[in-house]
Amino acid sequence: MTTKTYGFFEETQHQFDRVAERLGLDQAARDLLRHPMREFHFSVPVRMDDGTVRVFRGSRVQHNDARGPGRGGIRFHPMEAADNIRALAMLMTWKCAVADLPLGGSMGGLACDPHDLTASELERVCRGWVRQTAKVIGPDWDIPGPDLMTNPQQMLWMLDEYESLRGARSPGFITGKPVGLGGSQGRKEAGGYGVMITVREALKDLGIEPRDTWASVQGFGNVAQHAIELYLKMGGRVLSVACWDPVDRVSYTYRKREGIDLEALRSITNPLGEIDQPKAVEMGYERLPGEAWLSQDVQILLPAALERQITLQNVGQISEQVRIVPEAADAPTTPEAEAALVERRVTVIPDLLANAGGSVCSYFEQVQGSMNYYWRRDEVLGKLDVHMTDAYMAVRQVAREQELTLRDAAYAIAVSRVAQACQERGWI
Amino acid sequence: MMAEDRRPPLSTVFAEFSRGRFDSQAPLSIIGGGEPGGKARGLAGVRAALEACLSRGRFPQIAVDIPALAVLGTAVFDEFLADNALEETAAQDLADERMASAFQRCDLPFSILGDLRALVNEVRSPLAVRSSSLLEDARVSPFAGVYSTKMIPNAAYDADARFRELTQAIKFVYASTFSRLAKDYRAATGHAEGEEKMAVIIQELVGQRYPGRFYPELSGVARSINHYPTGPAHPADGVVSLALGLGKTIVDGGRCWTYSPAAPQVSPPFGSVEGLLKESQIEFWAVNMGEPPAYDPTRETEYLVRENLASAERDGSLRYLASTYNRLSGRLSIGLPFAGPRALTFAPLLALGEPPLNDLVVDVLKCCEAELDGPVEIEFAMTFDPHHFRLLQVRPMPGGRGQTPIDPQEMDGVRTLVAGGTALGNGVLEGLTDIVYTVPETFNLQNTVDMATELERLNRRLVESGRPYLLIVLGRLGTTDPWLGIPIRWAGISGARVVVEVAQDNARVELSQGSHFFHNVMSLGVKYFNLPFTGSRTIDWNWLGAQPAVEETRHFRHVRLSRPLVAKVDGLTSQGVVLKPAESPA
Repeated sequence: MTTKTYGFFEETQHQFDRVAERLGLDQAARDLLRHPMREFHFSVPVRMDDGTVRVFRGSRVQHNDARGPGRGGIRFHPMEAADNIRALAMLMTWKCAVADLPLGGSMGGLACDPHDLTASELERVCRGWVRQTAKVIGPDWDIPGPDLMTNPQQMLWMLDEYESLRGARSPGFITGKPVGLGGSQGRKEAGGYGVMITVREALKDLGIEPRDTWASVQGFGNVAQHAIELYLKMGGRVLSVACWDPVDRVSYTYRKREGIDLEALRSITNPLGEIDQPKAVEMGYERLPGEAWLSQDVQILLPAALERQITLQNVGQISEQVRIVPEAADAPTTPEAEAALVERRVTVIPDLLANAGGSVCSYFEQVQGSMNYYWRRDEVLGKLDVHMTDAYMAVRQVAREQELTLRDAAYAIAVSRVAQACQERGWI
Repeated sequence: MMAEDRRPPLSTVFAEFSRGRFDSQAPLSIIGGGEPGGKARGLAGVRAALEACLSRGRFPQIAVDIPALAVLGTAVFDEFLADNALEETAAQDLADERMASAFQRCDLPFSILGDLRALVNEVRSPLAVRSSSLLEDARVSPFAGVYSTKMIPNAAYDADARFRELTQAIKFVYASTFSRLAKDYRAATGHAEGEEKMAVIIQELVGQRYPGRFYPELSGVARSINHYPTGPAHPADGVVSLALGLGKTIVDGGRCWTYSPAAPQVSPPFGSVEGLLKESQIEFWAVNMGEPPAYDPTRETEYLVRENLASAERDGSLRYLASTYNRLSGRLSIGLPFAGPRALTFAPLLALGEPPLNDLVVDVLKCCEAELDGPVEIEFAMTFDPHHFRLLQVRPMPGGRGQTPIDPQEMDGVRTLVAGGTALGNGVLEGLTDIVYTVPETFNLQNTVDMATELERLNRRLVESGRPYLLIVLGRLGTTDPWLGIPIRWAGISGARVVVEVAQDNARVELSQGSHFFHNVMSLGVKYFNLPFTGSRTIDWNWLGAQPAVEETRHFRHVRLSRPLVAKVDGLTSQGVVLKPAESPA
């Protein structure tokens, strides 16, 4: 793990600074909220299958937990940087606050590429991560969950390790578990459906029917797939999907003029959301350069992969037809690019609102796990819909009243809620 | 119902459901796409007309409206079936409980969950979850009472519990689309299985909250045409049936107060005060708001309780409905002036006109008739203090009081199988060779529940083999009271083309005109005979007994003739006759 940053954390801090200025927060509040409260950096020695030992660097950053236990994912990525984790932890604080969840924000990571590990090595990595963090995380303090290149199986290994260390069953320790082993119904759909709930409401505001729209999507992981699933049910059509190709080690965009066939693409996609290139071409998809998803003539651009994908350098490629950019990924749009989009009257639904669905459902999972009583799928998703819709309405109302962008309105709500919690706790 | 080309576009009468707005002043709203179905369209069609008709201030002391409702469009039903791969299950011949359980295990489409959740978050009073299928929109074969309705208390503190109640009720109504009886009914009325789609109405339940229960003081069904006019009444005067509590009493064929709106002070022909006390309504249905019931989402009455007049008196809900019997004088006094046995005569309303319910019902009927361009049947409920009249359903009545002359000699001749009493319908029906009848010697009112089961099975077999039949029973059909007759729903005898009810001892068998059963009799053009215990009547049991049996069950005999019967009914005179086949041995 490196500490070198491309500016992600700085950007997140600058975003906070602007909001803090608008809200008139005092210096103590700004100092507290601008930085994570706690950080843990550690080494995870893992014996590999060939008998050698590799040492992986991991981290857990706890940004703020005034509103409740921290909540945040664990990402495995070879280029994982500490500043990224800090930024994501801060974003998680705001995300939980804007969704009005009684949770704070955390994030963790490990610098590794799961593609290069066998299943047993991956299991040892997961268990090692928990051994290093068990003292500082837990159902009452900081609840991890899946994120980039982590999945339910890994969550289950981590839970198992934690319970072994603690000597007790703790289903509320970690989220993202498989259904039937402490996972919540609706978990798989929640992230993607949550994005589309915000899109649905935004389309209503614009007076556009979903069936009159097309979308282009970056990423084809769980969130993207379920967002597409709901979008198609709403009547929309998807023109293209972009994803990473593990063989060529580059991204491609797959386009079909008549609209993608979600189930067909799913059938040729691996668990990491990577579409099989030759099979896609066989199915009649055009294989375009990775960034081509951005320039399609669609009404909805859905970034659902990594941060900083829409920048000042490529924002000019975006079609004039685009009306909505819901940020299904974390921080996929740089502030400069967003300014350009807002200038063009494109509605950017900020990440902390658009992709809060996963956090909401994780919270539901934690609640169910703590009670050891699990709800039906329709109960979970019905609550999710109301939760996300209420969050969107609240943000939209502030945006209209104060003539702010949705992002600024979302941040205003989130930061003021967290600041108030800190104040009421007597921290500031 | 209005001809299709006269119906306003859906978007003009149904708004998209708006979270946070579920009240009687809000537009009727639809959740999800597709059609709203017959019941919903009916209400939407008359809503504006009702406001216009009654805006002249004739009834300043009575508020009139349609309760708040939202409809799940038929597209939701399609999505539910597709998402859960239920088409195959729906096509199977499963027992109704199994079908209902299979539907309960499935998930409703995501697209409506948020709206349903928002609804229960906002509304904390009982709801009626009703069917509103496409085929309920038809003027002919209108499917009254074929599908289910479920009332839910919707009063639990926990919103999760309320949400669960609502989603279970919706799935229950969906499952009723594929009940055995519904399938038989569709087959009997010539509808293909794929034709039917179900919309679901979620409607504010009319009533008031009492300790442990919720119900309207008054429910009613009113019809533009009276098929059983007695005394000086005319068919065109119409007929009204009233009951205490939920309208289930009336539509299930239970005891209620039926009168002619042209003469509201005239009581039904009970014969005596004692007869009135004995045969008028003494029990009523209410929604259980007390102890949680035994969990059974596949049971229609899961959240209902049956109460009696004493409970109603404790609730204070008899003020406008009852009279009191004076043992000394042997007479009834209007209202509750002293302690004594109560009788539901509705005299304060009908005799005193306080408030003028009958005048209001007549006006509403006229308004609906004008809007739907023909005779109508309406269901309504009312609460008092303040007075609030609420229209629940409106549907067209099939017409038909033409004339079919009958030779008087046929009424009492060698070929007469059934004659006398009152007959409903009109025209000549030929071609029936199958007869199903109860054997008088073995008929016993203690066994009517078993009879219903047997009769349903016989009916299914005959419907499946495409053989319409003549049905002759003792007592009444379609009643929920097993001591009055066979408690069978219409779909259980859907293959019968001629129905003969023969009075048993002194049991009144006059068909409740407000019931779904009666509605289906009229709508499907079934020839219906009502033979009273006394008076002129003919039924040749001996001849029936001499016919070769196809099947003899414990309570029924199914015979098949080599030549067809002839049934004739004169709609003008309400006379009818069933003739044995020509050249048939006596």
